[in-house]
Amino acid sequence: MGKFTFVFYVLVLGSLYALIGQPMAQGSKLGSGGTFDGTHDGAVEVALADLELPALTQWIDKRFRDHHEKERLSDIGVVDDAAFLRRIHLDLSGRIPSVAQLRDFIDDSKPNKRLAEIDRLLESERFGEHMARIWRRVLMPASTTPNLASSAGLERWLEKQLDDNAAFDQVVRELITAGGAEFEKPVVNSDALVSQQDPMASPVNYLASTGGQPAEMASSVSRVFLGVKLECAMCHDHPFTDWTQDDFWGVAAFFSGAQVRGGQFPVQSSEQQSPRVDARTTSVSDTEGQSYSVSLPWSEGDIEIPKDELPRQYFARWMTSNENPHFSATIVNRVWQHLCGYGLTDAVEDLDQASERERAIILDDLAVKFSDSNFDMRALVRAICASEHYQRPSDRVHDNTIVEPRPLKVLTPEQLFDSLEVALALPISRIDKGPRFNGLRDALVARMEEAVGDTPDDFRGGIPQALTLMNGTITADATDLNKSKTLKAVVGAPFLKLDEKISTLFLATIGREPSGIELSKFVDQVDSKASVQEKDEALAGIMWALINSPEFVLVR
Amino acid sequence: MPMLPQFTRRDWLRVSAASLAGVSFSGWLPQIANAAAISNRKESPKACILLWMSGGPSQLDTFDPKSGTDNGGPVKSISTAVPGIQIAESLPGIAKQMKDLAIIRDLNSGEGDHGRGSQLMLTGFKPNPSTAYPSIGSLLSKELGAVDSDLPSYISLSSGRRPGSPGGPGFLGPQYGPLVVSGNSDNASARANLSIENLAPPLGITKPTMSDRFSNLEFLQNEFNKRSASDAAMAHQANAERAARMIESQAKNAFRLDEEDAVLREAYGRNRFGQGCLLARRLIERGVQFVEVELSGVRGNDLLGWDTHSGNFDRVGDLCGVLDPAWSTLMTDLRDRGMLDSTLIVWMGEFGRTPTINGTTGRDHWSSGWSAVLGGAGIKGGQVIGDTGKDGMRLQNEPEEGTKVADLHATICAALGIDHTNENMTKDDRPIGLVDEDGEPIEDLIA
Repeated sequence: MGKFTFVFYVLVLGSLYALIGQPMAQGSKLGSGGTFDGTHDGAVEVALADLELPALTQWIDKRFRDHHEKERLSDIGVVDDAAFLRRIHLDLSGRIPSVAQLRDFIDDSKPNKRLAEIDRLLESERFGEHMARIWRRVLMPASTTPNLASSAGLERWLEKQLDDNAAFDQVVRELITAGGAEFEKPVVNSDALVSQQDPMASPVNYLASTGGQPAEMASSVSRVFLGVKLECAMCHDHPFTDWTQDDFWGVAAFFSGAQVRGGQFPVQSSEQQSPRVDARTTSVSDTEGQSYSVSLPWSEGDIEIPKDELPRQYFARWMTSNENPHFSATIVNRVWQHLCGYGLTDAVEDLDQASERERAIILDDLAVKFSDSNFDMRALVRAICASEHYQRPSDRVHDNTIVEPRPLKVLTPEQLFDSLEVALALPISRIDKGPRFNGLRDALVARMEEAVGDTPDDFRGGIPQALTLMNGTITADATDLNKSKTLKAVVGAPFLKLDEKISTLFLATIGREPSGIELSKFVDQVDSKASVQEKDEALAGIMWALINSPEFVLVR
Repeated sequence: MPMLPQFTRRDWLRVSAASLAGVSFSGWLPQIANAAAISNRKESPKACILLWMSGGPSQLDTFDPKSGTDNGGPVKSISTAVPGIQIAESLPGIAKQMKDLAIIRDLNSGEGDHGRGSQLMLTGFKPNPSTAYPSIGSLLSKELGAVDSDLPSYISLSSGRRPGSPGGPGFLGPQYGPLVVSGNSDNASARANLSIENLAPPLGITKPTMSDRFSNLEFLQNEFNKRSASDAAMAHQANAERAARMIESQAKNAFRLDEEDAVLREAYGRNRFGQGCLLARRLIERGVQFVEVELSGVRGNDLLGWDTHSGNFDRVGDLCGVLDPAWSTLMTDLRDRGMLDSTLIVWMGEFGRTPTINGTTGRDHWSSGWSAVLGGAGIKGGQVIGDTGKDGMRLQNEPEEGTKVADLHATICAALGIDHTNENMTKDDRPIGLVDEDGEPIEDLIA
C-alpha cells in the first residue's frame, strides 16, 4: 500500500511538472527584459552572442542594418525569450512549447541559448514533418484536384527530403520530372488508401495534383518555382506584364509529353494506362487549336534538347540552373515568407512585378548565397531564424521612422491542433512517420482547412471555425474541471498561489505571463467568487477565453 | 503592404472606427441581448432559395412530360392551374402553384458529367482550372448585401460538399462561403432537427457562464489590440463577434423548428428536405439572403439521388413524393406571409436525363434540352419557355439553340434586381462577370 502511494505521488508530481513546470520565483527574469504591462512592446536588447552566429546570419543582419541606416529607420530590437520560444517552436516544429519548456528556456542563462534552441528544433523529427506540410500547401493549394493525387503521399516524400536535407534544387527537379517517360510509380487515387508502407510517398503526386494537363502543369510550376503567374497569359497576353501567350504555351509545351490521354495522370500502373502521347513531344496545342513549340521565359534562341533527355528534364535543368536567377530567389522568398510572415518582395507570386530596387535590398544576393550553398535548406532556415530580422517584435507601433514590426501569422490547421495538444496535455497522437490516426485531429484540421488564408498573415476563419473553438468537444473537455488535464493540474496544484495559477494558464496557452492589468482583472474575478467550486469554474472560464483569444491562433 | 483581410467592409469600418476613436469594442454584448427579436422590416429585401436536385432530375418525369410517346414511359401528365401547361402526375401540389412558376424546358448546357455539370449550373461558368468561380449563392448574397449580421447571408442545407467543389465561394474568398448545415442523418428524429454544429454551448454551460466567457474574451481581445491591432487580429475579432452573436441569439432560434405548428411541419414533410424547406423560410424571414436546400435522395444520406440510370420511374416517383409537398407548401407558406414577392425560388440540378429509356428502365445523362423552374420574386409565372419537341430530342446536335446557362443565370440576377453585368475581381485582378459573357435575361420571364 505504502509503495503504491509512493508510486502514485511520483506519477502525479512527475506529470504535474511536465504540464506546468516549476512555478517561477517572484520577480523572475521573464519580466526583466520587457514588462508586459499592455503598452510596452515587450522588446529586449538581448545581445545575441555574435561569435556563435552563422556567417550567413551575420551577413543578413548587416544587410538590414545598412538598409535601415540608409532609410533612417530606427531599430526595434528583438522579442523577449517567451515570445521567441513560441515563435520558433511554431515555425520549426509546428506546435507551441510547453510551460516546462518555456520556464526552462527563460531560466537558461547561456548567451547563445536561442541559437542552441534553433539547432535543437532543426534536429528534431518534427522539423521535416512540419516543413513538408508547409511546402505541400504551396505545391497543392486547396483548389487543386484531390482525387488525382495523394497530398499525404507528397507530404511524406517531402518530409524524407527535408529530413535528409537534400539539396533543394534536386528536390524540385525530382518534383517536376517525376514519373519520367513511363509513369511507372504506382499511385492509388485516394488518400483513404494510404498505407503505412508508403507506396504513394512519391513526388509524382505534385504534377498529378495540378490536373495533369500541360497547361495546368505549366501554370503551377511557373507560379510555385518562378514566382510568376504565367497562366494569366493562357487565353490572352498578360495585361500588366510582358508575358504573351507564346511564353505560357512555350512552357506548357515542355510538359506535353507528360500528358496521358483522358487526363488521368498518373494512372495506377503502366499496363492499365491508355496510349501515351509521345513523351518526347515538344509542342502543344492551346484551347483554340493553335500549336506552340517549347520556349523558355526570359530567354530567346533555339532550344536543343539532348537525345537522352525528356523535354521536362531539360526544362527542370534550365529552371534550377544559374542561367535562371528567379528560381533561387523564389525559393528564398517563400522560405522567408513562411518564417517572417512577409516575403522579401511585395507578393511572393508576383516576383516579375517586383522592382530592381526591392530585390536589391537583400533578396537577389541572398538567392545567390543560397544557390552557392548548394541549396542547403537547413542552413538557410537556421540563418534566417538566428537573424535580428526574424526575432524582431510584432507589436504595432504607428511610427514610420522605425523598422516595420513583424506581421502576426495565423496558425495553420495542423499547428492549431498540435498546439492545443500541448496546451491541453491531450494524449499526443502518433508521430511515427505514418499518418496520425486520431479522429479529433482530422475533424479539427478538416474544419480549419476550409478557411486557410493565402499568405501567413491572412486570417480567414469563419463562423464554423469560431464555433468549433468556442463550443466544440476539444474546448469543452479543456474547460471541464473533471476532464481537463491542464486545468486539473493547475487548479489542484498545492504549491501554486492564485496569481501563479493564472500565470500558468497564460503560459500554457498563449506562451507568456499575463500583464499587470490582465493579472489583476482575473485575480479579482476569481477572488470575487464565493465557493471553491465557483472559483475553479472561474479559472475554467479564463482558460476558455485564452484558447479563443486572438493571441492563441496568431503568432506574435 | 498586406491586403485588407476579406471580412466585410462594414465590419472593417466599425472596428476601425471604434479603434480610431479609442473606445473599446464593448458595444457588442448589449446587442446580443436584443438579437433574438426578429427585425420588423417594412420593405422585404430580396432573397433566393435554391432547390438543388443532386444527380440530375429527369425532365420527362417532372416538368416536360411526353406521355403517350415511347420516350414518355408510363408517366401521365396532368393539367395545372394554368390552362395549357401540363406537368407530370407526380407533382399535383406543384401543379396548383403554376401561376407563380415558370418552366424553362430548353436548357442546353453541354455538360454531361456530374462534377462539371454541377460546377456549370452552380457557378454559371464552364469549369476552368485557372479560375475558381464562385457559386451563385456566394455571388448573389454578396450582391444583395448583408441585411442582418446575426446570421450569415448564405446558408446551405446540403449533404456537405468538399472544399473547392461547387457551392463554395471560389475566388471571392471564405467570407462569402456558405454556412453549411450538413447533418445528413437518416435518423427519424435527427432529420427533423437540422442544426448547426457547435451552435449550442456544451451541456452544463449556462447562459451566464457563457456571457462571462465572452466578456473575458472581449477583454483579452482589447488588451491584445492595444499592442497588435493588425488586420489579422481585427478579422479574428469581427468573426468571433459574429459567432458569439449566433451563440447568444441561438441564431435567432431559426433552427428551432419545434416552434412551428405541427400541422405545417407535417405539410412540408417530416423528412430532411421538407424540414429543410421550412428552415429555409425561417432563415429568409430572419434576414438570410440565399439558402440552398438539397434534395439528394429520399433517405437523408443518399447522394446523387436523381441519378436514375436504372429503375427511373419508381425512383423519380419516390423523389417527387418528397419534393411535391415540400415545395408546394413552401410556396403557400411564403405567399401567406407576404414573402413570395421578394423570394425567388430556383429549382434545378446539374443536367437532365435522356428522353430515351435504357435497357434497365433508366435514363442516362442529358444536357441538350432539359428543365429548370423559376418562381416567386420578380418572375412572371404561368409560362413555359422553350420546346424540346414531341420526343424530347429536338435539341440533340443543336448546341447553338435553346436557353443557355448564362441566360438562366442572368434571369436569376434580373429577378433579384441585380445587374447581371456587374463584375468581381479575382485575386490576380481579372474582372469576372456575375454571368458568362453573352448571358442575357429572358425578358418574357421578368415581371
